[in-house]
Amino acid sequence: MTQSALDGVRILDLTSEMGWYCGKLLADLGADVIKVEPVGGDPSRGRAPFWQGIPGRETSLRFWYFNANKRSVTLDLGHYDGRWLFGELVKTADIVIESWTAAERAELVEHDVDPDAYMEAQPALIWVSITGFGLDGPRAGWEVTDIVAQAAAGIATLAGYPDGSPMRIAGNQAYAVAGISAAQGALLALLQAEATGGGQRVETSIQEALSICQETAHLQWDFQGTSRERVGESHRLPGIGTYKTSDGYIFSMVGVPGFGAPWTEVIGWMEENGMAEDLTEPEYANTFANFNMRILLDVEEQAKHAPVLARAQEVLTRFYASKTTMEAYEEGQSRRLLIGQVATPSDIADSEHLAEREWWLELNQPTRLGSEDAGLRYPGPPYHLSETPASVRRPAPQIGEHNQEVWVDEVGIPAEDLIAFAGEGAI
Amino acid sequence: MTDSSSPSSPRRRGRPLDGVRVADFSWFGVGPIAARTLADFGADVIRIESEARVDGLRLGQPIKPGKTGYNVCAYFNNFNADKRSFLLNMSAEGSQEVAYRLIERSDIFLSNLTPRIFERWNLTYEQLREIKPDIIAAYMPMQGLSGPHRDFLGFGAVLTPTTGISHLSGDPDRAPVGVGTNYPDYVVNPGHTVIAILAALRHRRKTGQGQRIELAQVESVAATMGPSLLDYTANGVNQVRNGNKSSWMCPHGIYRCADDPSARERWIAIAVGDDAKWESLRAVAKGAAFTSDDRFATLLGRRRHEDELNSMLSDWTASFDAAALAIQLQSVGVAAALVQDAEDMCEHDDHLAARGFYEYLDHPETDISLYDGPIVKLHETPGYLASPAPLFGQHTYEVATEVLGYSADEVAELTSTGVLS
Repeated sequence: MTQSALDGVRILDLTSEMGWYCGKLLADLGADVIKVEPVGGDPSRGRAPFWQGIPGRETSLRFWYFNANKRSVTLDLGHYDGRWLFGELVKTADIVIESWTAAERAELVEHDVDPDAYMEAQPALIWVSITGFGLDGPRAGWEVTDIVAQAAAGIATLAGYPDGSPMRIAGNQAYAVAGISAAQGALLALLQAEATGGGQRVETSIQEALSICQETAHLQWDFQGTSRERVGESHRLPGIGTYKTSDGYIFSMVGVPGFGAPWTEVIGWMEENGMAEDLTEPEYANTFANFNMRILLDVEEQAKHAPVLARAQEVLTRFYASKTTMEAYEEGQSRRLLIGQVATPSDIADSEHLAEREWWLELNQPTRLGSEDAGLRYPGPPYHLSETPASVRRPAPQIGEHNQEVWVDEVGIPAEDLIAFAGEGAI
Repeated sequence: MTDSSSPSSPRRRGRPLDGVRVADFSWFGVGPIAARTLADFGADVIRIESEARVDGLRLGQPIKPGKTGYNVCAYFNNFNADKRSFLLNMSAEGSQEVAYRLIERSDIFLSNLTPRIFERWNLTYEQLREIKPDIIAAYMPMQGLSGPHRDFLGFGAVLTPTTGISHLSGDPDRAPVGVGTNYPDYVVNPGHTVIAILAALRHRRKTGQGQRIELAQVESVAATMGPSLLDYTANGVNQVRNGNKSSWMCPHGIYRCADDPSARERWIAIAVGDDAKWESLRAVAKGAAFTSDDRFATLLGRRRHEDELNSMLSDWTASFDAAALAIQLQSVGVAAALVQDAEDMCEHDDHLAARGFYEYLDHPETDISLYDGPIVKLHETPGYLASPAPLFGQHTYEVATEVLGYSADEVAELTSTGVLS
């Protein structure tokens, strides 16, 4: 029997889409995560993409991916009995995760759904708040979405073409980063609580967590008083940037000292394919034999070599265009050149490397569409722990699927009371 | 800066990882950043460095103007605050014994070296377990420890394309340009690594058992792209990039505002999730052409005519100060924000300043310098940066004697043979 790292940890997950990933990370590591949804379901269940393109609250692939391994109960926190039930459930929990807006939080506190009160009654309780801008400060009340967070965190300005608009990084990365930040906080607090008995509030500000991805922009401002701008490919040197192949694109990062084989290796590769043209002649060979950080960083130095660099760019562009993406990627990497495939989702799904590593999981997901379960080939975990592997043990829950087992069997609410609560709409 | 002598200062309280030691054999971005979070929360992180393989970030940009050397690059310093620098040349005869002695006295081993290198240095999990049976050994190879692409090279700039982020980001009519940084190196991969380490620490506290963590960076980033991957594996839909548009919010994008007095381009992000928010936006934009256009009355209409709406919205935002407009929109509950650049983040963001996110630490060579604060805030046992980045080799003697238990003579001997420096 495989052990889980988070055996015996119960988590209540009240988050919307913004906070889903935190609970998923912890659930995959073995925590018992109970999704506490409003009656009718988490409103962000309705987010695309959908299974077979059929929209619905039980067919969202996005919901499934981020909520597998969780159980679901429903309750109405606006209802007195709903709040009472929630209080009973909190007593069984180690960690509560929510991603309320400031307005929602204020309203809930007014109705006695107050994190401080729960933590006072239960000193070991950990309460994780995932917020756009933090729990305090002048913008604590601001609304947030993925693109708004990426703008506020200083990263959208760096992405995209210099002659176009700032750009959002794909994949709701602000929410991924939110979950990664909050899961770290939850686990740090858990280690502390298990060592000392003391729980605490954990707070993720997505703006802050995501701002770490500015790389050096803020550091450059601090040291040099200049803001990094998005450069796209405008400062491009031969070998560095996105290139078209015969069937797609590659990203090439060759000639940077300390990162893989030198530029001369590229010339050798082109030569073997009969495509080096005149780049084997001394004026090119000499420039590329000395292709160093100065050329990379110093605009004047680049200007000195401009004709050579331009010619190399032309030849290299032709060379890469003659290869398929996989040829350029695999042949280049086998020469220790830093080349990456610009992969589409199908390239990742078809990757022999990931297949051989058995990264993908298989999961049967009920769909409530009167048809068979959806047999899903499911993206695997971010890491492999040799003794306590992350795993997906159950599909994403349907709305309120576990009301009976949680309320009656685990919290101990008499079945007839549950019927009454359901009748009045509290669950 | 926080006054460390005040009794209420967090610097006097315990941190969750007090007493945990990390033998940090990583370098560049992803490994050291993971270790920095561990350090922020109390771990004693010993960075193994060497003159023979100087961390590229020590040689990178930006550097403190007028300064040179290994200690003046903020790229390195920011990610290595609160650690100790220990110079151990793993190519020198006798180095392995020193490395093993450190691992024996550590709880966590961390490496983002390629498998070829850590195998050559005899630092596989099987070998480490012999020395320290309950070690938690975290490896972060680009493509994993197995598979046909095991030895492929890369870092964030190569991961962004190989995990689908580049393909799915940006303008559908243009080539995928990437995201302008080594994005996955900063939170996604180090953060996942820390999560795995913390989970493994809990397991060890419960059972006494250590383990190996393998974070294949390509898998770790792909795990954040789950919905796009499932759309293909379940539906056969191979998604394409869609600019700044959303599948359900509209308008949703980044719009040009008035340039600032120094001709700096200013932009605002706006995301409108439902008709109520749309009405709020219309109220703020009273009189603008798009507010009286019936085609935009419903979400469906807005989506059908999205390009035209975006163009009309841009006409309206063009005359506004972006920061002021964001405040105005937020005051009626519309999600919006100035597209901030580094100057905004460091100088004009009153909110970040009020929260004290950035820490300013006094470093012997770069003076008072900016560091990122901890990635998450714990209210009772907060993380913090107890010291700035270490100077190159600053703690070699201290670690060799205090942690490893070598005598002064032994340190001298190890130094003369080139093992330590």
